[in-house]
Amino acid sequence: MKKTWSVVLSLLAVLAFFFGVWLIGRLINPNLNLDETALLRFVFVGIGLLIVLVIYLLTSKNKMWEVGTRQVVYMAIGAALFAVFSYLFNGTVFVVPSVSQVALRPAIAIPMFFGYAFGPVVGFFTGAVGNMFGDALTGFGLSPQWSVGNGLVGLISGLVWLFADKKKSINVVLLISAVLAAAVTVFYFVNPGTSNAMFYDVDNGIFGDAPISMFAGVSVLIGLAIVLIVRFVFGKNIDVAAAVTWSMLGNLLGIGFAAVSDIWINGYSPAVALVGEFLPSAGPNLIFAAILVPILVGAYAAVQKQTGR
Amino acid sequence: MLVAWRYKKRNSLLQSFDPRAWIIFFCCYLASTLFFWDFRYLLFFFAIALFTVFTSGIPWKEMSRAWIFIIGFIFFFSFLTFLTGRGGMELYTEEHTLAKLVAGFHIFSWTPTLNITAERTMFAASMLIRVFSIASMTILIPYSLNPAHYGITFRGLGMPDKIAYGMDLTMRFIPTFGRDFSLTMDAQKARGYEIEKLGGGLFAQVKKLAPLIVPVTIHAIAGSEDIIDAMDLRAFGVGPRTWLEKLTYRRRDRVLIVVGVVILMFSIALSLLGYGKFWVPGFLIG
Repeated sequence: MKKTWSVVLSLLAVLAFFFGVWLIGRLINPNLNLDETALLRFVFVGIGLLIVLVIYLLTSKNKMWEVGTRQVVYMAIGAALFAVFSYLFNGTVFVVPSVSQVALRPAIAIPMFFGYAFGPVVGFFTGAVGNMFGDALTGFGLSPQWSVGNGLVGLISGLVWLFADKKKSINVVLLISAVLAAAVTVFYFVNPGTSNAMFYDVDNGIFGDAPISMFAGVSVLIGLAIVLIVRFVFGKNIDVAAAVTWSMLGNLLGIGFAAVSDIWINGYSPAVALVGEFLPSAGPNLIFAAILVPILVGAYAAVQKQTGR
Repeated sequence: MLVAWRYKKRNSLLQSFDPRAWIIFFCCYLASTLFFWDFRYLLFFFAIALFTVFTSGIPWKEMSRAWIFIIGFIFFFSFLTFLTGRGGMELYTEEHTLAKLVAGFHIFSWTPTLNITAERTMFAASMLIRVFSIASMTILIPYSLNPAHYGITFRGLGMPDKIAYGMDLTMRFIPTFGRDFSLTMDAQKARGYEIEKLGGGLFAQVKKLAPLIVPVTIHAIAGSEDIIDAMDLRAFGVGPRTWLEKLTYRRRDRVLIVVGVVILMFSIALSLLGYGKFWVPGFLIG
């Protein structure tokens, strides 16, 4: 109790301090305008965590939120794998050629798979902490809101645990994702000339300023199409179908959160944030989700059969 | 088998602090650098980073690989920034050309031209010292934080037992999986797999990556049974945890925390008032 009070009091003291800064600053120089853009990234980290809290409170009865030994170890494995893979495939260690302006980021399959297989807590930890450590390995810890975004990818993929019957959830999730994907793609066709902020090609002098290619622009739709194919071809294996569809939703919402927050943080226009940033990162992610996640689900099922767990 | 970071006990300023105090200071430092683009303000953080690096007592021989990677990475990105001004466009509205390099040849009626402007140069310089400060402070942590203290450090920072232990395991697993990855890659190469030829279409590339990513992931999950068993045998998570090591704050640790928090509050205050924005020295604009 005493501890809670001291936390509340210190928070109040911090608020009072900034209120004082604002008051005194205005007195000294009336031209000073309060500028909160730099602070916004931390505000968005807070908003992201608040979203997680709300999801938790709404579904706190469900046993998917229980954290035991197994979950603690899986969290750590997921986060470490995500960190290592994102470090290896971020373009500096392995130079992976991009195809039609689409760069390979296979690491994203890790939070999706861990969220789906081990629940939302493991998924969120994998995405958020893994991204944090991955950034630390390269020395680029500049965008904490992307850590929360990657965490949301894992968390939402793990919400499949809410449904006792996975099959029932698939169609609703597919429908929501299809609507989202269609909406962004329409937005791309309205703003076709936007630069692809995620694409670099040093040899040809392109540094995130080339107009987005058609392929990158419709990559979310291509991803959706592959997910649909996987869902209906492997329709019998409900685990694979559920994993790809839920990963798709997680990817759209999680990366969407990070990209949309850049509208305020980096002062991007909605066109740059959605077409220049969201499409070229979420689209390829979807393609990976559709190919790598099913392979991981299949391999994990084989391991489970062997060890009887 | 776990592989460890290269921690060693050293008599250095950095390692004389309580790890909790250092992590708090580090977080304050990291957050503070994000508020500034002004070269002069960033110099302050750059100085702290240099001071920490040179008093860390870690010989060049032990860290040379990490440093070469970081320096290469930072110079690469700063150079990109210098060429294009990317990322800085939002910070300034007009550019003052210092020199204009025009190539003496044409490629398909396009003449490569490089505009060296005052704004781009300053932005690249600011970027360079900003990223260097962050990267060098971060890279020191695994070298200076005792692996035996990971768990208790995060617990001492107020995280719940399970999350603290999760963070502890994450930091221990990262070098291990890095090793597993290179082992897997060697094994696949021995069977004729060629990562250097990662060409082809998008789907071909994804298909080629699966033989690396899937075995490493599944091996990690399958291997975790030993750790889970070991933890279960010691009744992990049954009651409040006790830790083998004990950390105590001394006066110097409290001072360090206060310094960190003051730097952070001061940075936020300055940035709220609009100081520390992108700056170009007057003589460059002329």
